[in-house]
Amino acid sequence: MRILLVEDDSETAAYVRRGLIEAGHTVDHAADGQEGLFLASGGGHDVLVVDRMLPKLDGLSLVRALRAAGVTAPAIFLTARAGVGDRVEGLDAGGDDYLAKPFAFAELLARVNALARRPRLQQETTLLRVGDLEMDLLRHTVSRAGQRITLQPREWRLLEFLMRRKGEVATRTMLLEAVWDFHFDPMTSVVETHISRLRSKIDKGFDRPLIHTVRGAGYVVRDDG
Amino acid sequence: MGEGGGFTRTTTFRLTLLHLALTLAGTVLLGAIAWWATVGFAARQASEEVARGMGVLGQSAALSGLRGVALSIEARLAADRAGVEYYLLAAPDGQRLAGNLATAPPEMGWQTIEVREASGATVPVIALRAALSGGATLVVGRDLSAVRALESRLLGAAGWVAFGAIVIGLAGGYLIGRGIARRTAAMDRALAAVAAGDLARRLPVAGRGDEFDTLSARINAMLDRLGEVMAALRSVTDDIAHDMRTPLTRLRQRLEEVRRAAGEGEAAKAAAAAEAECDAILELFAALLRIAQVEAGAQRSAFGRFDLSGVAEAVAEVYAPAAEERGQTLEAEIVPGIEGFGDRALITQLIANLAENAVRHGREGGAVRIALSPAAAGGVELSVTDDGPGIPEAERERVFRRFHRLDSARATPGSGLGLALVRAVAGLHGMAVTLEDAAPGSDMPGLVARVFIPPPPA
Repeated sequence: MRILLVEDDSETAAYVRRGLIEAGHTVDHAADGQEGLFLASGGGHDVLVVDRMLPKLDGLSLVRALRAAGVTAPAIFLTARAGVGDRVEGLDAGGDDYLAKPFAFAELLARVNALARRPRLQQETTLLRVGDLEMDLLRHTVSRAGQRITLQPREWRLLEFLMRRKGEVATRTMLLEAVWDFHFDPMTSVVETHISRLRSKIDKGFDRPLIHTVRGAGYVVRDDG
Repeated sequence: MGEGGGFTRTTTFRLTLLHLALTLAGTVLLGAIAWWATVGFAARQASEEVARGMGVLGQSAALSGLRGVALSIEARLAADRAGVEYYLLAAPDGQRLAGNLATAPPEMGWQTIEVREASGATVPVIALRAALSGGATLVVGRDLSAVRALESRLLGAAGWVAFGAIVIGLAGGYLIGRGIARRTAAMDRALAAVAAGDLARRLPVAGRGDEFDTLSARINAMLDRLGEVMAALRSVTDDIAHDMRTPLTRLRQRLEEVRRAAGEGEAAKAAAAAEAECDAILELFAALLRIAQVEAGAQRSAFGRFDLSGVAEAVAEVYAPAAEERGQTLEAEIVPGIEGFGDRALITQLIANLAENAVRHGREGGAVRIALSPAAAGGVELSVTDDGPGIPEAERERVFRRFHRLDSARATPGSGLGLALVRAVAGLHGMAVTLEDAAPGSDMPGLVARVFIPPPPA
């Protein structure tokens, strides 16, 4: 993927850039809003990573200007602010996701991946399959190796979120936002307890686990077999 | 403007009373002057005429004796067409010699007497009785009926004037009062809105340049200044957030690189632990800034309507497994379909913080209850109940402060900021939060946190 990074702090920029390149992406970097606008207007980027506080042109205005100019590449905002309404402002300005600094690189990478494959999600899928685990979205059933599994509504949403991104890491905060609409980090390890519940239904009694923990990043559903 | 009995305490009411008292005092003074000039004048005139008649008759007695006086009296009475003059000339033995009075008044000097006419009517008469030389008695009187009539007419008129003064005074007081009350009520509304967090609201200025306008303009200038100070504070907060979080972020990035480079050994574990500490500092910092922002009322832009019951359900579901891990049952008694108004994300966090406290401090193997239902007095009540050690009454106010933690809670994890955020979010939304014993009198009284949520604006 070709990613545009607009970030004025050189150290953070270097860190993000290095990580993205290691993950196999091409990175263009702009150190201020005007340069970012110039580079992004050229088009051809799959994802934009934009800091909110930028010299010359702030991140919100930058994305607003790009949207007005017809640039549709998904954008993710980075911010050092603890702002409560920043997320809403960012989405209103035409951003697609929002990440508060400091973030683990794995978190950013997971979100960038999620954004980049968003268009494909719109294709109608009625059956999600990972190994011998099947989720039928039409009949609303889950089965593994032919055995029916009963799930609570939130467990269903959690598993669906993971299965739609099979092979890709979903972070704790991504799950909190997508499954429970929690835009803050609870002190209690609620995600862990929900995952372990889901595991006891999906993986218990089977020789191969499908739900994997990625240390320092999050969770992934994949078939290692 | 207060309702009911409150009105009598207002300045407007007192001014109305003062206005009325002054109007009445003026009317009384005016009436007294009119009395003196009319009734008083007529009475004085009657007395003067009596005195003059007495003088003339006295001279006549000196010149021509009692016989002359009697003749003068006969002549005067014959000429008295109006029938207003009264006379009596009595000999020293009391025998009437002349005049139209039957008997002499009892005393010497001036007096007012009632005279019975032949028709049977009584007439008020001002009379002067004097002794002539030789022991004869002379009485001169004058009818006061006209004066009395004038008196009663004037009294009637004074009554009407007083009545009119009271009516005009009350109406004037009411109109003036209403004008003042309208303007103070408009100022009051604007100030209440400011106090409720709408810092952009300003007091109305009528443009008349009167003292209300001057006062409003001064208060508005003060509010402008307050707005500037708040904006400056916010930008300082943002700057601190940016300036301190940036180096911390870099520190975190370095630690992450160290961990990745270290592979799987002890060094990686140490780096991961340091990373977690770093996250904890940053999280604390973020929570403090968040509380400060919420308290500053900066977040009304994100207000909207949302499914409050759904949010409460979601929180209950999120914490159910965590409660289960502590052997607790989490009961949700949530009336469906209740609408909320405010910042959805913040209210979610408010409920989550209360649920988190209940699960964390509740008795192991006990029960945690999250309830949401319409309140009797309108609005909605949210309550989160646990059966843990509770909070002593003296501590209940303090637990809402930042970093305040009960001695009994020091062993459990937590930042001491959860309830501070709850209070800040509640304050932003005009909600009231109270803490009570769930089971009063028990040695494990538990805790019930109640949040009263006012009805959303129409």
